[in-house]
Amino acid sequence: MNKLVAWIDQRFPLTQFVKQELTEYPTPRNLSYLWNFGSLAALVLVLQVITGIFLAMHYKADAKLAFDSVEHIMRDVNYGWLIRYMHSTGASAFFIVIYIHMARTLYYGSFRKPRELMWWSGQGLLILLMATAFMGYLLPWGQMSYWGAQVITNLFRATPFIGDQVVIWLRGDFSVGDATLTRFFALHYLFPFIIIAAVGFHMVALHYVKSSNPSGINLQAKDNIPFHPYYTIKDFFGFGVFLIIYFVFVFYSPNTFIEADNYIPADPLQTPAHIVPEWYFLPFYAILRAIPDLFGGVVAMALSIIIFAVLPYLDRSKIPGGARYRPFYRLLFVVFSIDVVVLSYVGAKPPEGGLILVGQIATFMYFALFTALPAISIYEEKWLRRRGLPPEVEELITAEENQRDIREGKTQS
Amino acid sequence: MNMTLRIRLVILLLSLVSVSTNASASADVELRDIYLEVNAQNLREGFYTYNNLCRLCHNLKYIKYSNLSDVGLSKHEIDVLRGTNGVSDTLAASMPPSVANQAFGKVPPDLSLMAKARKNGTHYIYTLLTSYYEKSEAVYDNHLFQGIRMPDIFEYSVTENPKDKELIDKRVQQVALFLEWAADPKRDERKSMGVFVIAYLMVLTLLLFFLKRRIWANLQ
Ligand code: HEC
Repeated sequence: MNKLVAWIDQRFPLTQFVKQELTEYPTPRNLSYLWNFGSLAALVLVLQVITGIFLAMHYKADAKLAFDSVEHIMRDVNYGWLIRYMHSTGASAFFIVIYIHMARTLYYGSFRKPRELMWWSGQGLLILLMATAFMGYLLPWGQMSYWGAQVITNLFRATPFIGDQVVIWLRGDFSVGDATLTRFFALHYLFPFIIIAAVGFHMVALHYVKSSNPSGINLQAKDNIPFHPYYTIKDFFGFGVFLIIYFVFVFYSPNTFIEADNYIPADPLQTPAHIVPEWYFLPFYAILRAIPDLFGGVVAMALSIIIFAVLPYLDRSKIPGGARYRPFYRLLFVVFSIDVVVLSYVGAKPPEGGLILVGQIATFMYFALFTALPAISIYEEKWLRRRGLPPEVEELITAEENQRDIREGKTQS
Repeated sequence: MNMTLRIRLVILLLSLVSVSTNASASADVELRDIYLEVNAQNLREGFYTYNNLCRLCHNLKYIKYSNLSDVGLSKHEIDVLRGTNGVSDTLAASMPPSVANQAFGKVPPDLSLMAKARKNGTHYIYTLLTSYYEKSEAVYDNHLFQGIRMPDIFEYSVTENPKDKELIDKRVQQVALFLEWAADPKRDERKSMGVFVIAYLMVLTLLLFFLKRRIWANLQ
C-alpha cells in the first residue's frame, strides 16, 4: 500500500493534495452549524445524480410514454417509488439547503472581498440549479409540468426583435411538445455535470481564500484548526441530521412537494385553473407578475437574480464582516427575508384584488433594499465610528489600510 | 351484472343526468373526513364496490388483476374475476370509451391516480359522491362539482332513510380508501421501511454527535 502511494506520489501529488486540501486544510475554529450547508449541498447533489441515473434507466422521454413510464417506475420497478420520491424530494431539499447557504453568506457578509468570485460562482450555480430543476419538472409530463413549461418558455417572447423565434427554438415546436420533452431530458441529464464542474471552481476559490467565519474577521493562523478530524466529523453529523429530515419526507409525506395536478397527464387542450411554479421559484414569479408588462416583468425577474452579483460593491462599509457588528445591515437582512417570504406567498396565490398591490410593494421593496445599501452602509459606518468601534475591529481596519498602502506604494515605484 | 344490463342501467341513470356545460369543482365546499380505518376488509369491500359500480364507466389502467392480492383477494377470486383476461391485464371499464363519450359527452377519467390528482384526494372522492342533491324534480346536481356529468351512482340525492344514507356513506368511504390504495399501492411498504431507515439514521446520528463532541473536546 505504502509502495503504491509512493509510486503515485512520484507522478501525482496525491499525499500532498490530501494533506493540503483535506486533512490539514486550515479552517476557522469558530464556524457555526450554518457553515454545514455547503457540504450538505454537495451531499444532495450526489444523491440527485445517483437517483437520477437510476430513474433514467426506466424513464421514457416520449410525450406518449413519459407519464406512464413514471407510473411504471412507481409501481413495477424494484424500489422505483423510493428512487423517484428521493429524487423529487431531493429537488426541494436542494433549494432549501442552497437558500440557507445563501442566507448565511448574506448575513455574515461572506460575499465581501476577497470572496467575490465565490459569490459569483455560487450565483452561477444557483442559476444552473434553477435551469436543471425547471427542465426536470417537465419530465413527468403531468399537467403542471406541461403548463409550467409552456408559461416559462413563453417568457422568452420578451426577447427584443426575435422573441417568437427564440421561443420556437427553445421548444423545438410551436408549443411545448415531444420535441421539448426530449431536449429537456437531454439537458437535464447534462446540466448536473456542468454543475459538478462549477462546484470544482467554487472549491478551488474557497481553498484559496479560505472559509469566512461568524466574526467576519479574517482569523490569525492560531485560530485555525485542521479540517480533519474536526470538520469531517461535524459535516458527517450534519449529514445525519439532514438525512433524518429528508427521509421523513421521502417515506411519510413524499407528495408534499408534488402538486396534485401533476398526477393528471399533460393535456395541451385543457389549461389548469391556476398554474403555479414550484415553491422555490415563487418569489421570482411574484416579481414577474408584479410588472403588468411582459418585457418589464421578465427584465425585473432576471434582475432580481442577477442583482446579487453587485452586492460586494453595493456594500460600502469598511467595517469587516456581516450583520453581527452592524445593526443597520442586520435590519436590512431581516426586512429582506420577510420581503422574500411575502413574495413567495403572493407568487403562490392567483393575482387578485389586494394581493396584486402587495406583490408590487414587495417587489419595490426588494429592489429598494439593494439600492439603499450603499447609502445605508456608509451612514452606518459613520454612526458606528461615532459610538466607538471595538478596538480589535479598529486595529483590523487600520491594518488593512496599511497593507493596501504598501501594496499600492509598491506598484507605483 | 352482465354487459348489456350495465349499459341499460347507464341509460336509465342517464335519463336523470342534467347535462350542463359549465362544469367546475367549487372550492368552498368543505371536504368531509373519513372515519373508517384502512384495513383489509374495507379495502376489499371498496374494491368490490368499484368493480360492481364504478367499473362500469371508469378504468383502473395502472392496476393489474395480480395486484388485487394486495387488497386481500385470493388467487381463486382473482381467477374468477378476470375470466379470460391475463393476470397482468389491467382493469378496464365495461363500457367502451366511445359509448361513454356519447353518453356523457366525456370519457370518464381513469381512477388509478384520482386519489392523488385532487388535493386531499381520498376525502375529495368521498365528499364528491355524497354531495349530490336534488335541484328540482328528477334533476340533480353536485355541491362539490357543479354540473358534473357523472350520474348520482348511489342515488344519494333521493335517499331519505337515514339508515340507508349511512350505508351509502360507508360504501363510499370504502371505495375512497380503495382508490387511495390504487393511487399509492406501495404506501404500506413505504411506511414500514421508513421506520427502519429513520431509526437507523437516528442511532447513527446520535453516535456521530457524541463522536463529534469527543473530538472537539481535544481543542483547548
Ligand atoms: C355511469 C358512468 C359512471 C359511473 C358508474 C361512475 N362514474 Fe365517476 N365519472 C363519470 C363521468 C362521466 C365523469 C366525468 C365527470 C365530469 O367531468 O363532468 C366521472 C368523474 C368521476 C370523478 C372525477 C371528478 C373530478 O373531480 O373530475 C371521480 C372521482 C369519480 N368519477 C368517481 C367515481 C366512483 C368512485 C364511482 C363508483 C362509485 C364512479 N365514479 C362511477 C361516470 C361514471
